[in-house]
Amino acid sequence: MARSSLSVVFSGRGGAGAMSAGELLLRAAADLGYYGLMSRLFGAQVRGGEAAALVQISTEPVTCQPDRFDLFVALDWEKVDQFASEIPLDENTVIIADPQSGPTPQSIARSKAKTIPFSMSNADATPLERALQSKYTNVFAAGAVAALTGLPADALQSALSAVLGGKSATVTRANADTLAAGIAAADTLDLDLRLAPPHTAPRWLLTGNQAIAIGALRGGVRFVGCYPITPATDLVEWLSPELQNLGGRLVLAEDELASINMVLGASYGGAPAMTVTSGPGLSLMVESIGLGIAAEIPAVIVNVMRGGPSTGIPSKTEQSDINIAIYGGHGDAPRLVLAPTSVRDCMFTGEWAVYLAESLQTPVIVLSDQTLGQAFTVIDPKPDRPTPLARRTTVPDGPFKRYAIASDPVTPMPRPGTPRGQWVGEGLTHNEIGIPVGGAAAHVAQLDKRARKFAQFDPGPLWGDVWGEGDTVILTFGSGIGPAQEASRRLAAVGQQVRIISLRVLSPLPVEALARALEGARRIVVMEQNHGAQLYRHLLAHKAIPPSAESFARPGPLPFRPAEIVAHLG
Amino acid sequence: MSNAAIIDAASAEALDPSDFHSGATPIWCPGCGDYGVLSALEHALAINGRPPHEVVLVSGIGCSSRLPAYTSCYGFHGVHGRALPFAAGVKLARPDLEVIAVGGDGDGYSIGGNHFIHACRRNLDMLYLVMDNRVYGMTKGQPSPTTEADWDSDIAPGGLGLRPFDPLALAIAGGANFVARGFSGRPQELKDLIVEGLRWPGFAFIDVLSPCMAFRSEEFGWKESVHPVARTIEDDRAAAHAAVLAEDGYSLGVLFKDHRPSLPARYVAQSSLSEIEQQFAVCR
Repeated sequence: MARSSLSVVFSGRGGAGAMSAGELLLRAAADLGYYGLMSRLFGAQVRGGEAAALVQISTEPVTCQPDRFDLFVALDWEKVDQFASEIPLDENTVIIADPQSGPTPQSIARSKAKTIPFSMSNADATPLERALQSKYTNVFAAGAVAALTGLPADALQSALSAVLGGKSATVTRANADTLAAGIAAADTLDLDLRLAPPHTAPRWLLTGNQAIAIGALRGGVRFVGCYPITPATDLVEWLSPELQNLGGRLVLAEDELASINMVLGASYGGAPAMTVTSGPGLSLMVESIGLGIAAEIPAVIVNVMRGGPSTGIPSKTEQSDINIAIYGGHGDAPRLVLAPTSVRDCMFTGEWAVYLAESLQTPVIVLSDQTLGQAFTVIDPKPDRPTPLARRTTVPDGPFKRYAIASDPVTPMPRPGTPRGQWVGEGLTHNEIGIPVGGAAAHVAQLDKRARKFAQFDPGPLWGDVWGEGDTVILTFGSGIGPAQEASRRLAAVGQQVRIISLRVLSPLPVEALARALEGARRIVVMEQNHGAQLYRHLLAHKAIPPSAESFARPGPLPFRPAEIVAHLG
Repeated sequence: MSNAAIIDAASAEALDPSDFHSGATPIWCPGCGDYGVLSALEHALAINGRPPHEVVLVSGIGCSSRLPAYTSCYGFHGVHGRALPFAAGVKLARPDLEVIAVGGDGDGYSIGGNHFIHACRRNLDMLYLVMDNRVYGMTKGQPSPTTEADWDSDIAPGGLGLRPFDPLALAIAGGANFVARGFSGRPQELKDLIVEGLRWPGFAFIDVLSPCMAFRSEEFGWKESVHPVARTIEDDRAAAHAAVLAEDGYSLGVLFKDHRPSLPARYVAQSSLSEIEQQFAVCR
């Protein structure tokens, strides 16, 4: 019987091409109308470490990692011990490995999965050809697996072209031959991986990082200042040439202190601007985020979270920057913190963040994480977009006071070059004109002015989402939402209703909307991926949840899986 | 020439130093060298000819970093040490504006030292004016990166024992296109240096000897030490670097000028966002 979904791991030493194999399979399937998701598992080494592509293909949308994998393809067995614990296998998993790679390591064999020997090079090739082709083992293996799922050869060849990009004709030819050989070799495997027909429709295949970048561009960002940091680098690597194509610019700064200040400078100049970083970079930016808050300068700060503290686990996921995003820095510095609710929502939230920063004249932090950011995902392109909002730049009549205390806490900020609009942005406590003063009255007045921006901010229905029904509630955010929804689906199938509440606005906390969403809840579980229950404590501090609410907090780097959530709910 | 352009040209000619004066009272001590720098800057801006609303002054933290609010230009008084990246952001987003970063030796050479190197390397068309009094004045007298090794202070009794570094040599090595030294006690010469720096393409850096009345009153003896620079070296960065390292630190004038290109001012849009988004389309 044809299956509705398939989960496959391609694993090998860094440089063996596991990621390309995964992308080839995913891209071909996506082009034929399947949904899918590919997560990337990396070690710390740039070359020669461990690497695995975790691929799922399905006739339905995929929003989280599976509880177990159906197939494990070993391109080699080197270094596999280092991440075996992150790849759940069981006795129904099939392992495909070339006998030349040696015996199945104990870390994999203890799953009791059965291994099928499979020669991963062209059997008809001469010894010389085999030696040359050995570096394309990944393409051979991907071809064989893809053929077994029923994906046609022409779709695979065109996906291969997309994966290879602009490689030389010789390399492209050799890869195409190897792919054909792999497809042919599928017949030698006694395995039924046939997929049910897909529900075809125009879709997009992209990562959460790319989706945030698209959102920011849609919102009007044309200046980005950044410093390379895993797992945010691929976002800015994609963005840099595209910004140039749009007449904008990405600047590689000397460090994160420079990044955030360049962004504030460009924004002061009138350009919607963004920086992109991960935990350690956000720590370095904290002082200047406070400057942006005090001087009232729009800026978007995308933080793709990874394991912390300190250097932590750079390439792997965690949701442990909630505290620094909401509370980081000295003084009273309220700010907007948003979190995309899915890879698809990265586009929406990224665009919305720009509009909120511009219209409220304040830094906005977007909390994504490695799970969302680096997951290659097939999505239905989101038709709805946030309502555009712009910054106020018109010079008012009469003497101009940049930081005037008025009924509207958002006061005009003319673009430099505008006659009669001159103002000095000021990080010291200042009066209405912007002159530094040390007195209590001005200090309180300006703190009140900035606090009112957030008190008056009403996200309306965009605060978050409620999904499903039931008096048991999982309250979560970001990459926790997908697995929670899948857990809820499974429980619903056995008659147990679980409501999922997902937060898009983490700060200022939408307390009233949450109260409505929580109506009738008898059991509330706050689920998050960190050691210190940061979201739970944030919600408790604002009395957004009752004291009886439970915390389900555990650190990364393992992603939440539906079975784990089902088990937790008991 | 359009009517508007004629009016612009006329008003540019009519600019007076007082047009750049905000009227705010500086917090500087009586006798502070920074008064001379402010005055020279206002005179230079009037000569430069761009009206106050087309000029942006960016600073960090310290006595001298208070300067932007004393002018009538657009300005930004940010955090300690980060004036240069902020100013770079303004210039990159708005190449049409006249961008000037100002600050002190602690702000620019210590906490902001890394940005100084990279601003020189980036070589954007802007001016960086450092009021160098060789002391942290606002925190009441600690040695800075340009303070003499034996200068006695509470925090470093008998002196820090570290050789001061030479910001001009660093600027030349870093890649700045225009490197000069001025003196607040010679405001006419300083004004000319600022005008030349504003008009020179690329990153123009002027280290201005600006005595601190409160903590380094001996610096008023600088008027006896300063002298015109022997010669301005043009385009030969190695020779300029050697000459700066060999001089006594009191030569006034332009020490080095170069014609190194900077980043492109802006890129021309080649495609629309919806075209770019098409790269993600599957199952069309």
